[in-house]
Amino acid sequence: MYAGRCYGYFYRLTGDRDLSDELLSELFIRLVEKIGSYKGGAFESWLFKIASNIFHDHLRGKQRRRRLLEARRAEIELEPDLNESRRSDMSEDRLDKLQLQLNRLDADTRELIMLRFHSELSFREIAELRSEPLGTALSKLHRGLKKLRTLMEG
Amino acid sequence: MNDQARENLVEWLKQVMDAESAQAANEEIRAGERLLATYSAPNPDARTLTVIKARMVLAAARRRRKILILRGSLAAAAAVVVIAMIGLLGPGSTSRAPTVHAAIIPTAIWESDNIEADDLDLVYFTSEIRRIEAQMQALEAGESESRGSGALQKLEMELMNVEIEFWKG
Repeated sequence: MYAGRCYGYFYRLTGDRDLSDELLSELFIRLVEKIGSYKGGAFESWLFKIASNIFHDHLRGKQRRRRLLEARRAEIELEPDLNESRRSDMSEDRLDKLQLQLNRLDADTRELIMLRFHSELSFREIAELRSEPLGTALSKLHRGLKKLRTLMEG
Repeated sequence: MNDQARENLVEWLKQVMDAESAQAANEEIRAGERLLATYSAPNPDARTLTVIKARMVLAAARRRRKILILRGSLAAAAAVVVIAMIGLLGPGSTSRAPTVHAAIIPTAIWESDNIEADDLDLVYFTSEIRRIEAQMQALEAGESESRGSGALQKLEMELMNVEIEFWKG
C-alpha cells in the first residue's frame, strides 16, 4: 500500500521509473534504519517526511552532478544527438500528459501538490511536515492546482 | 485513515481570505485533486519490490548487528566506569598511612650459604621472641600485675634489642 503511494510520489516528481525505483529502495532502507526514531502518531506523516528528505537529497546530488557536468561542458557538447534521442524517448513513451504539465510548475509547488495527493495527509499535517504556516501551504497549493488545471485544459 | 477526510478546508481558507474567496478556492482545490485522481501514477514492478524487500532484510540485519555492538560497547564502558568508581570511592580509598612491611628474617640469612650458623641464629632469635611474647601475654592477662606497665615497656625494649642484634648479624 505504502510502496505504491511513495512510488507515485517519486515518479511524479522525477518522471523517471528507474530513478523512482532507486528512491523507493532508499526510502524503505532508511525506514528500517530509522524505525527507532518513530515516536508514534501519523505514520504517513513520518514516512513522507523521510520521502521528502530523500527527494531533496537527490536534488542536491543532482545539482552537484550538474556543476560537475558544466565543468566538463566541452566533452558533453560532443554528444548532442545522443542526448536528443534520449529526451525524445522519455517524452513519447514514458511521460503522460499530467507528467508533462507537472514539469511546468515550479519544483516547490509540484512537490507540495504531490505530497498532498500521495500522502493523503491533511493540510495541517503537510504544513507541519514542511515547517511552514498553514496559510502559506494552502495558498501555494491553491495557486498550483489552479495553474495545473489551466495547463491541462489548454 | 487520516485527517484529510475530516478537515474543513473552507474554515482554514477563511483564515487567509474572505468567505466568498474561500468557498471558490475550496472548489478549485477539490477540482484539482479530482483531476489528479484521473491520472494514476505507475506502480513499482514486482521485481523492484522483491529487490527492495531483500535490501530491507539486509538493512535490518545490519541494524541489529550495530545495536548489539553498541550495547556491548556500552556494557564494557559501564563496567570500566563502575570499576573506576569502586577504586575511587570504595573503602580502600580512604587516606590511610602507608603500611611498611618489614621482613622478620634478615635478607642476609636468605642469601647466606652458611646453614648451620644461620640455623643457630634463627633458633636463638625465635626462642627469645617466644619467651618475650609469653611474658607480654601474661602481663596483658593480668597474671603478673606486680610488674605493672613498666614491665611491659621493659619487655618491648628487650624485644626490640633482640631484633636489632639479630639484624646486626
